Amino acid sequence: MVSVINTVDTSHEDMIHDAQMDYYGTRLATCSSDRTVKIFDVRNGGQILVADLRGHEGPVWQVAWAHPMFGNILASCSYDRKVIIWKEENGTWDKMYEYTGHESSVNSVCWGPYEFGLILACGSSDGAISLLTFTGDQQWDVKKISNAHTIGCNAVSWAPAVVPGSLIDQPSGQKPNYVKRFVSGGCDNLVKLWKEEDGQWKEDQKLEAHSDWVRDVGWAPSIGLPTSTIASCSQDGRVFIWTCDDPAGNTWTVKLLHKFNDVVWHVSWSITGNILAVSGGDNKVTLWKESMDGQWACISDVSKGQGAVSTITDTQQNEQ
Amino acid sequence: MAARWSSETVVVEFRDAQATAMSVDCLGSHAVRHSLYLVNLDAPSEPSRKMGRHSKWDVGTVQWNPHRSQAHIFAASSNQRVDLYSWRDGCGETHTSLQGHTRVISDLDWSWFDSELLVSSSVDTYIYIWDTDTRKPTVALSAVGAAQVKWNRKNPHLLASSHDGDVRIWDKRKPNTAVEYLAAHLSKIHGLDWHRDNEFVFATSSQDNSVRFWDYRQPRKYLSVLSCQVPVWKARYTPFSSGLVTVMVPQLRRENSLLLWSVLDLNSPVHAFVGHDDVVLEFQWRPQKESRDFQLVTWSRDQTLRIWRVEPQLQKSGLAQTLQQEFSLVNLQIRNVNVEMDARNRSCVVSAHFGGQRVHLVVNFPVRYPNNAAPTFQFVAPTTIPSAMKTKIQKVLMDTSLQKVKRNQNCLEPCVRQLVSCLESDMEDGPASGPFVLSNPVAPPLQAFPRVTNTYGSCLVYFTRPITMHRSAPPTEPTPSLSALSAYHSGVLTPMKMRSESQNTLRLYSGSPTRSDKDTVSISSFYYKERKLPMSASRRWSVQTLHDWPKSRRFKTKREGAEYSSRPIKLAGKVIIQEISCLLPVHKALGESYLNMNDIQETCQKNAAAALAVGRRDLAKVWALASAATSQDLSPDSDPDTETPWARHPFGRHLLETSLDHYSQMSDVQTLAMLCSVFRAQAPPPDCYSLYGHPGSRLHSRFPSYTSSSVTSGSCSSTSDSIAATWTTPEHPAPWGESSPDDYRYGNQSYTDPRERERELHDMNKLLDPANTLQFDDFKKSYGEILYRWGLGDKRADVLKFTAGPPEPHKGIFGLYCCHCRSQARGTQCAVCKRLTFQCAVCHVAVRGSSNFCLSCGHGGHTGHMMDWFRRQDECPAGCGCRCLLQSTF
Repeated sequence: MVSVINTVDTSHEDMIHDAQMDYYGTRLATCSSDRTVKIFDVRNGGQILVADLRGHEGPVWQVAWAHPMFGNILASCSYDRKVIIWKEENGTWDKMYEYTGHESSVNSVCWGPYEFGLILACGSSDGAISLLTFTGDQQWDVKKISNAHTIGCNAVSWAPAVVPGSLIDQPSGQKPNYVKRFVSGGCDNLVKLWKEEDGQWKEDQKLEAHSDWVRDVGWAPSIGLPTSTIASCSQDGRVFIWTCDDPAGNTWTVKLLHKFNDVVWHVSWSITGNILAVSGGDNKVTLWKESMDGQWACISDVSKGQGAVSTITDTQQNEQ
Repeated sequence: MAARWSSETVVVEFRDAQATAMSVDCLGSHAVRHSLYLVNLDAPSEPSRKMGRHSKWDVGTVQWNPHRSQAHIFAASSNQRVDLYSWRDGCGETHTSLQGHTRVISDLDWSWFDSELLVSSSVDTYIYIWDTDTRKPTVALSAVGAAQVKWNRKNPHLLASSHDGDVRIWDKRKPNTAVEYLAAHLSKIHGLDWHRDNEFVFATSSQDNSVRFWDYRQPRKYLSVLSCQVPVWKARYTPFSSGLVTVMVPQLRRENSLLLWSVLDLNSPVHAFVGHDDVVLEFQWRPQKESRDFQLVTWSRDQTLRIWRVEPQLQKSGLAQTLQQEFSLVNLQIRNVNVEMDARNRSCVVSAHFGGQRVHLVVNFPVRYPNNAAPTFQFVAPTTIPSAMKTKIQKVLMDTSLQKVKRNQNCLEPCVRQLVSCLESDMEDGPASGPFVLSNPVAPPLQAFPRVTNTYGSCLVYFTRPITMHRSAPPTEPTPSLSALSAYHSGVLTPMKMRSESQNTLRLYSGSPTRSDKDTVSISSFYYKERKLPMSASRRWSVQTLHDWPKSRRFKTKREGAEYSSRPIKLAGKVIIQEISCLLPVHKALGESYLNMNDIQETCQKNAAAALAVGRRDLAKVWALASAATSQDLSPDSDPDTETPWARHPFGRHLLETSLDHYSQMSDVQTLAMLCSVFRAQAPPPDCYSLYGHPGSRLHSRFPSYTSSSVTSGSCSSTSDSIAATWTTPEHPAPWGESSPDDYRYGNQSYTDPRERERELHDMNKLLDPANTLQFDDFKKSYGEILYRWGLGDKRADVLKFTAGPPEPHKGIFGLYCCHCRSQARGTQCAVCKRLTFQCAVCHVAVRGSSNFCLSCGHGGHTGHMMDWFRRQDECPAGCGCRCLLQSTF
């Protein structure tokens, strides 16, 4: 059954902009316009405030947990143009690194797959995307893609680490050749794919379909199949699903998931990459699932007896 | 626009009349004036009949009975008395008098439902409802200073009265007290008129220069307001839909004071009736005998009575907008589309560019538009779209416009939107490289409000804005595109400001409280707070002020001081974590209970039972099938000549592959990985045995074993080394010496012995296609990740035991990486950290002198230590599981 297992009262003093569970689903990080980042222990339906991270000087837009093999690391980005990477050591959270290389609000942060080590992509309103790589001994290597999106980048999302064309027998004598790729969406209405080649980031693809700002992009997690899937949502109310079966990653086909009547703010994939959660300006969250014949259907409204998710949202609101 | 609206048909002057009141009867043939002149409106120029009155008082109000059966009756008030007259065949007589009021009567009104009922209001503090048969007031309503009284047109029991700036709604069955009380205007109300179709709605016109529209069920706020520069004498709904006629009290007598409005658009009047030289005292609508049209009869202080004919078409269609109005109201803020409108020539040019295509479309509006007359569409240069496309678009546009004009509706906006969607859909088909025009940077972009976050494991996390926060912009308002923004503001300005501006204007019509104009731009101002405001409208409140207080303490104290004793308003909503595991194809419960044992039959049966327990009946069948397919009787014979292997049977590999395809489409990585593991266990590849002896323990070390302890603590930083380390597991014994990697490829292996080749082919007859081994391993790895998230590290290791994997490449001979800084090293000293590169696997001291290393695992150390170790052991001292003695020569 779809059921609410926890409702966390964050006691943020202003609007919340993001809430992320960690890898194991035991901790919740939230960030808000009140300039703070909070971490809650939410195991067994509880909500214990673990940390209240202060350091940003503007609304904090997004937080991202790093893979736990690197320790407990959280990145946050803010309107104050800063990206702060926080690390828990001996139970206390401290700043591990502060990146101030953007000239405008940083709107999105996303950690790369653990196979690449600690690598963080940051998208900013100054149009640039920064890639921060941890090189050991508190050193971070910075690579910047300037003018990635004219007017600003709103979202970044990494591709899962899969070997391109892994179905094809790898030459057994060579190291698995993971290619670093991520997707970004911006105010130029474009969705762009980026790829690292010989240590340099290059624009790999430019996906055009939206007619207004792209608000969020999400690269679906891989279950090992050779298909890549990306969801993008926009101010124009449309959510598109982009798929690519081609191992080289050159041919992307687009499918309209749905045209909403309002801005679509965010998209998020389930762990198996077959359910997409979409949140819109109408304050509703809908879940979409691809059927066996490749059609996307809204399941949150139709799943009988399982409680429509959007309905639950409304109930929650009324209780407040 | 004037000419089409009305034409003045009749002007009659009555020099000596000095009339103060006028009424048009329900059949539309008579008007009554001072000293009771009766004018036959069918022949207004005929001399009017005069009816004598014996009273020193002027006639206050006159009203004909609106019921046909009583159409010859009219009532006139004269000081404190109501006189009823009847008029038949050109001569009238006093019918009766209603006496009861003790002071002058201010207004009277016949009931719309009961021809006997007349209501009168007087300054004697009473409103009487008279039964004209009995000539007695049946109901007395006590109310000070009633200036007007009007029956509701839909509800026979309801009436409204105005008292200075207030309105009271009465139910004649409950005469004790008013049903509703509305503080409608700040100054005296001159006119009160019920809506003709809506029981609850009425309009008031007042000295305070406004007409307000009310629903008496919401007495606190008006529905909308029509602001005028001058006091409004009367405002009455038109008998045809959605119109309103107002009479102003202009500052200069000669100004036009008689205006027709559409209640749907109160920005500007639809029409001004030009003709009277002085203030219009009274106006009435007169039904026509032969048609359902109405004429407007007006009586002015200039002593003329005028009859105006109003365009019947327009009456029928309601107050449809003229073309000019349509142009001024049309919302065409569409990207890449520009519309130049020329109302004078009744045409407009739509220019759009999509992708590489340019479209110029001329739209011509016929004179009768939109009255069942569709505009014409014509493509002009430099349109670049192909002619087939043109035809298609033209057809779509014609259909759209016809649909609209048939109902007398405007069609420009829907047509342009159709055009855009046609072009857009065309663009999706063809290659598109649209030059998007981008304007100045606007920072920051609005960030999100309700946000869904990662559906980790089996949870969906999201939050919503609190109930007190609402979008300041109505959802139908198109979100501002950049071009729209830059048109309003240049440079750095956020969209919010614009939204709040448009909000203010929109509010005017929606009637919700307007917000302070001093809004500062903030993120929160995208939403505004809606609170139940106290009755006084002056206490308004905007979010922005709150937002500017950075410190919570100040926030609180200020709030407490500001007489809001209620709980603090929450700006942050709650974060909701929802269990959605039922929607996912993978199940944690199954992850826990699935087994991977050596006894495949038993494993399958137990897994089937586990699947049933979580309600996956399909999986129970799959496991039953797996059990059957892995049974011993079907295992391939070692001798290739005995029989066709089961894998070749339709129920063999084909069946399995179909199932795998099915679960791939469902994204059920759990089932995929488990099936692959089981079938791999059933037919372990020969090289596993030959090379590693016991494949399980050997292989799973290739994947870092996350232990359950690290899982529960939520930290596993200790494992980072194990991943970063290079795992070297050779597929084949690497011969010492030069060899190209290609030699290790399966495909390039040359079969010298034909029997060996046949055996190799026979080995391919496993249920799982060996060609897809890598794919199957990917399933297992992905599933392993999920198991790890669930905290099932042991189960993960169980699954990963069965990966064949692409063998990690052999790294070469001497450790390629410095053991300290992990940078690539050549020679004994690392070029980066200047330390010695190699460490002895036995004594953990850097090796400088004589050393030996295993060529396959890369471990080794001081020659002496190695010699000692391998004298007693055959496995690598580093614990990597490599059988170094077998792999290479020490």
